[in-house]
Amino acid sequence: MKRAATWLVSILLAVSTLGATAQGAFAYTGHVWSNSDAFKSTCLGFNDTYPQSMYSLAQSQLALLGYLPSGALGASFTRSAFLNSVFYDYAVYAHTHGDNYWAASGSPNVDSGILQDPGVGMCNSSSRDMIRSSSIKAATMGTPYNLVVMSTCKLGASNSTMPGAFQIEKTKSSTQRKFYLGYAYTTYDSSAYRFERAFWSYLNGDPNHSRTVYQAFTYAQSIGGYASPDSANPFQANWWGNPNYNGTPG
Amino acid sequence: MKSRKSVSATRPLLAAAAIVLGLAISSGSLTAASSPLSVGPDQVGVDSARVVGPVQNEEVITADDNPEVFARADKARDAFGFPVGVKKVGRHVHDGFLNSNYDEVSEVGSKGQPLALTQFDGSGRLTAAVRFDIAAPPAVRITGDAAMKTAQRGLTASGLTVIGQARTDSNVADGGWEVHWDRTAEGLAVRGDETRVHLWADGRIQTVAKVEHQLAPAPARRLSQPDARNVVARQLDQWSGKGGVRYTVADMDLEWVGPNAAFDASKLNTAPASYRLAWVVNVKPTGEAADYIQLITLYVDAGDGTVIGGDVVE
Repeated sequence: MKRAATWLVSILLAVSTLGATAQGAFAYTGHVWSNSDAFKSTCLGFNDTYPQSMYSLAQSQLALLGYLPSGALGASFTRSAFLNSVFYDYAVYAHTHGDNYWAASGSPNVDSGILQDPGVGMCNSSSRDMIRSSSIKAATMGTPYNLVVMSTCKLGASNSTMPGAFQIEKTKSSTQRKFYLGYAYTTYDSSAYRFERAFWSYLNGDPNHSRTVYQAFTYAQSIGGYASPDSANPFQANWWGNPNYNGTPG
Repeated sequence: MKSRKSVSATRPLLAAAAIVLGLAISSGSLTAASSPLSVGPDQVGVDSARVVGPVQNEEVITADDNPEVFARADKARDAFGFPVGVKKVGRHVHDGFLNSNYDEVSEVGSKGQPLALTQFDGSGRLTAAVRFDIAAPPAVRITGDAAMKTAQRGLTASGLTVIGQARTDSNVADGGWEVHWDRTAEGLAVRGDETRVHLWADGRIQTVAKVEHQLAPAPARRLSQPDARNVVARQLDQWSGKGGVRYTVADMDLEWVGPNAAFDASKLNTAPASYRLAWVVNVKPTGEAADYIQLITLYVDAGDGTVIGGDVVE
């Protein structure tokens, strides 16, 4: 009797383990990365609260959309972690400093980049912490991506090379399941956060993926009220991809 | 580049390999296998069932019970030239994302798709309107001046009034125009408050927003600019002492602002407060932080001289 019970427990545990493994392996992973250490008191004298807020929002909303969220807030957002995991991702979200830098080949070629988290007690250094779009593109090995959100400055500008890193062409008429969102100019965190709250609220506001990502973008754009640093940098979000894609993973 | 089909097959193959690995481990030690998607012990793996975010609560409203809401929606839809659906869906929403309440009427197409929507606040004022179709690039783009006049006509037809000079910006996303009237009160800007119309390049209106926050009474005695600068200097000295960063004041102006939790996590999740008159001070870091922080903005209450929030350009 004891032997039979032991067998039963073993089989149940094995099935349970297999189920958990299969669930993790077949899930559509969405990594959410947020640089927080560069915006803490050790660097700025105060703790910027937006990295945490942005991270939590994206984590919860990607999960609602059907992705298995992973990623890091803070020191585990490293270049190697990002590049080692991006191949497996179907969605990628990053909140950090971003810009369109000159490529190694020089002007006028651009190689957009984002900064990894510098680590606890450290501040960012562009030369040390940059994750270039060319590096990301190499790490993706040509795999397609469903949803990419670059919650940074300028990576929604027309000269950004970041969409291409994820095989998202800068067109608005793709028929594949892909959507890239970024901001065109220098952007206040409060405005990005307002936009993203409206974006996610609309996208996940109806069940069963009945709304498209483009509609969510348009809704977020419609509500207005976005502060901007100056008239040369109006708040403007931009997108590329498929206007009919509803955010379904896979 | 590999074809989409061939590269799409790669990730499931790796997933299948993970199952085999999981089986091998489970048959041996009955220890759960690590997913190959994990890249480090510190990473946050999140069980989607446990992720809690903001929510929207809504209740359906009908034209029979709320005829005035639906009448306003029809008026706005026609004023802006929005498409007419085969049916309308109304709802009253508590929006936990943006801490707001509104009535919303959607025009719905024959396949159930949303064509357009309008939103109204508790007093029946239009706050947002949007059409969801996508415009093909036109052969000829209207001018900014024509966009401004079209926006003005649409607003007038909808019953919205605007005061002052409009500003017009080109829109990078679709080549259209952003026409906006920024709100002022007592001659001072109200930060973020505006009436904004987005037009496609062909001149049709796609979105309209009216953002207007409640203002607290202006302080009886207004903090002078030198006194505000002293407050900021003390704050920056304090920050520099903690972070070793130096800041220089770029400019400062009086504005109406919404207090926020930008520099104080204890104020996160507090209910939105009325806008207050404040000195809005832009400061720029020097040294290492200048590499990745372009601007920090502080709000110094023009009444009591406290820092009530601000903003960051990362």
